[in-house]
Amino acid sequence: MSTSLQNGINTLIGQIDAPTASFFTSCVHCGLCADACLFYTETGDPKYTPIHKLEPMRRLWQQEYTFWGKLMKKVGLSKPVTDAELTEWEPLVYDSCTLCGRCSLVCPVGNDIVYMVRKMREGMVASGHAPEGLKGATQRAIELGSPMGVNLNTLKAQIKHAEKETGLTVPLDVEGADYMMVLSSAEVAEYNDIIGAVTRIFKQANVSWTLASDGFEGTNSGIQIGSSDLAAELVGRIVRAAERLKVKYVISPECGHAFTALRWDGPNLIGRPFPFKVIHIIELLDELRSSGRLQTEGVDETRMTFHDPCQMVRRGGVIEQPRNLMHMVAPNFVEMPEPGVQNWCCGGGGGVSANHRAEPLRNQVFSRKKAQLDAINVKTIVTSCSNCRTMLLDGLENNHMDIEVIGLTELVAEHLSDNAEGKAS
Amino acid sequence: MKEHETLEQRLQEQGISRRSFLKFCAAMATMMALPPSSASAIAATLAKVKRPSVIWLSFQECTGCTESLTRSHSPTLESMIFDMVSLDYHHTLQAASGFAAEQAREDAMKEFHGQYLLLVDGSIPIKDGGVYSTIAGRTNLDMLLEAAQGAAAIVAVGSCAAFGGLPNAQPNPTGAVAVSDLIKNKPIINISGCPPIPAVITGVLAHYLTFGALPALDDQGRPKAFYGETIHDRCYRRPFYDQGKFAKTFDDEGARNGWCLYELGCKGPTTHNACATTKWNGGTSFPIESGHGCIGCSEPKFWDAGSFYAPLPAPTADVSSAAKAAAVIGAVAAVAVGAIDRGKKTQAQQSREKLTVDDLKGE
Repeated sequence: MSTSLQNGINTLIGQIDAPTASFFTSCVHCGLCADACLFYTETGDPKYTPIHKLEPMRRLWQQEYTFWGKLMKKVGLSKPVTDAELTEWEPLVYDSCTLCGRCSLVCPVGNDIVYMVRKMREGMVASGHAPEGLKGATQRAIELGSPMGVNLNTLKAQIKHAEKETGLTVPLDVEGADYMMVLSSAEVAEYNDIIGAVTRIFKQANVSWTLASDGFEGTNSGIQIGSSDLAAELVGRIVRAAERLKVKYVISPECGHAFTALRWDGPNLIGRPFPFKVIHIIELLDELRSSGRLQTEGVDETRMTFHDPCQMVRRGGVIEQPRNLMHMVAPNFVEMPEPGVQNWCCGGGGGVSANHRAEPLRNQVFSRKKAQLDAINVKTIVTSCSNCRTMLLDGLENNHMDIEVIGLTELVAEHLSDNAEGKAS
Repeated sequence: MKEHETLEQRLQEQGISRRSFLKFCAAMATMMALPPSSASAIAATLAKVKRPSVIWLSFQECTGCTESLTRSHSPTLESMIFDMVSLDYHHTLQAASGFAAEQAREDAMKEFHGQYLLLVDGSIPIKDGGVYSTIAGRTNLDMLLEAAQGAAAIVAVGSCAAFGGLPNAQPNPTGAVAVSDLIKNKPIINISGCPPIPAVITGVLAHYLTFGALPALDDQGRPKAFYGETIHDRCYRRPFYDQGKFAKTFDDEGARNGWCLYELGCKGPTTHNACATTKWNGGTSFPIESGHGCIGCSEPKFWDAGSFYAPLPAPTADVSSAAKAAAVIGAVAAVAVGAIDRGKKTQAQQSREKLTVDDLKGE
C-alpha cells in the first residue's frame, strides 16, 4: 500500500513545475474563474472558485519553492498540508470539477487552472483521497480492460451485430491498415450503432481501417482519477496495438477525455513520440467531406443543436468540423447561446460521471445546460462525446425535457448516399 | 435639482436604462481593479445614494478640466453621473451669476457643513496676498481656505490644482501653488493630468459615493487604480522599445511603422496615468496612438522638465560594471536556488511510490 499523506505530498512537490510556479505567482485573485465555472454559477458558493480548489497545492508550492515560504516553514509559521485538509478538498477537486477548462480560457493572466487541477489530482490519488466511484472505474479499466466492464467478447458480439445489420465486414486486427479505430466503452455497451455507422462511412469513403482486439478501449480513467502511472498503462495498450498493426493513424472515438488522453497527454505519459498520428473521428469525417469522399443525400428537417464537448473545443480546437458536418444534413441546425469554445459542460466530464457521490451536485448544475437549451427550443441535441450524451440524457430525464440526443457520426451515417457508396467501392 | 431623488430615479428620468447603468458600474469596477462582485455593490449603493453636495471652485486655470469632463464624453453616462451629484456651485456650468451664484455657494457650505465634497481645478496664487486671481472680489486663497474648512474631502482636479501646473512653472510670477501646499488637515485626492481623463474623475467620485471613503493613493496623492502604472508599461508600442526599434524623426520609416517614440522625447516611462488603457474620446485613442510622445502632463513640474521633444536622460555614468557585477551575483544566486529547488523536486519524485491498481482497492 503506497497511498499515504507523505506519498501524496512527495507526488505534489514533484508535480509542481515551472508553469505551475508562474501560474501561482501571477494569479491576481480577480475571481473571473469563478464566473466561468458552472459549479460556482449554479450554486453561488465561493468555495467552487476554480483557483481555490488548488489551495493545498498552492501552499505547498509556497512552502517548498518560495523564499518567504521556506523561511516561514523554517520558523514554524506555515500551516502544513494535512490529511484532514485533503479530505475536505476531495469533493472540490473531484466532484466539482469536470476538467472542462473554461476557467483556463477566461483567466486574464493566462493561468491554465485545469492543468493544475490535473496535477492536484495526482497528489490526491497518491494520498488516498480519490472518490470510490472513480477508484472502481479505474480498477475495472486496468483489470478488465474497460471502466464499464465490457471486454473483447462484448465487442465481438457487437461486431457480429453490426455486420448482420450492414451486410459489411467489420475489420478486426488487420495489419497494415491506415487507420485504427478506438471506441469508448459506452459505444461498445450502449451506443453500439456507431460501429455500423463508421463501417458504412469508411466503406463509402474507401478508408482502410481496423479495430484492434487488444486496443479498442479509448477511455482513460487514469487521466480522470489523476494517476499518470495508470493513465500511461491504459494509453500504452493502444500504442502497443497500433504499433503491432503498423497503422498510420489512430482514430479517437466520440469521447472527450479519450481524445485528450490520446492526442495531447499520450506521448508525455509514455515518454516518447507516437509513431502514428491521432485524429478525432469528427476531424476525419470533415476531412473526408472536404475531399469529397463523404457524400450525403437527404436532410433531417428536425430543429437541432450541437453540444460541444469541452475536450473537443477548448483543449482540442475542433470547432468548425462538427458544424461543417451538421450543415450537410441538418438545415434547421441552431446554435445554443455561448456555443463553440465557450460552451458549458454537460456536468459529468473529468470523471464526475463515474463518481456517484457527485450525482446530486451534477444534477443541480445541469441548470446551466437547461437554460442554454430553453433558449433555443430544439427537438434534438447532437454531440460528439458518448459521456456527454449519457449526461445529457440523464439531465433531460431529471428535468422532464423531451429532447432526443444522438451522436454526430450516426447522424451523418443515416444520410450516407447509397450511390456514392457504390461508386467508391 | 430635486433634493430627495435617488441616483437611479434621476437616471431613469434622463432616459438611462438600468442596463446601461449596470454596465457603467461594471466598467468602473474593472477600471478600479476591484473584484467583479463589487460591480453589484457599486450598483446597489449608487442606486440608493442621495446626491451629495459638491462645490467646484475654479482658480488659476484654463477650464480644460471642465471641458474634459463635460464635453469630450457628453452626453454619456459619465457626464450624467456627474449630474447626479448636487453640483451647487460651478461658475462655468451654473446658470446663476453674480451675487446669486456666490449666495448658492455660501448656502451649500452652511447647509452641508462637514459633508460636501470640494472639487478644485486651477492653482492658487499666493504672491502679494493672492491678488492675481479673484472671484467676486475675493482672492482664490481666501475662498479656498474658507471652503476647505467645511469639506469632507477635497479633490484636486487637474495638474494645476494637484501640483501647481502651468501657473507654477518657472518663473512663477503669481506664486502659484497646489491645493495640498495650503490645506493640510483634510483628505486630498489628486487627479492630475492636463486635463485628466474624464473616466478617472467619475471613477473616483463613484468610489467615494459607494464606499464613503477615498480610494488608495500613491505617494503623489493620486488614486493607485488609475495612476499605479506608467504609460510606458502599458503602451502598445512597448514591444518596439524592448526590441530597440525607435522612430528618430516624426516622418521617418520608424515613425511610419509605429515604432517607439522614446528618442523623440516621449515621457511615457516616467509618467503615471491611465491613458494607454482607458484612452480618450470615449476609448478612441491616446496621444501615442496619434504618433506623438507622451508629454508627462500628469506628473509634478512637467512644464519645467525640459523640452517635450528631448529624450529622457539615459544614464551617463559608468553603471555597466556595477550592473554586470549585480547581474553575475543575481545569476549565481538564481542558479543556486534553482539547483536546490530542482534537487528537491527530483528527490520528491524519487521518494514517491508508483501508484498501482492495488492502491485503489479498500483495506
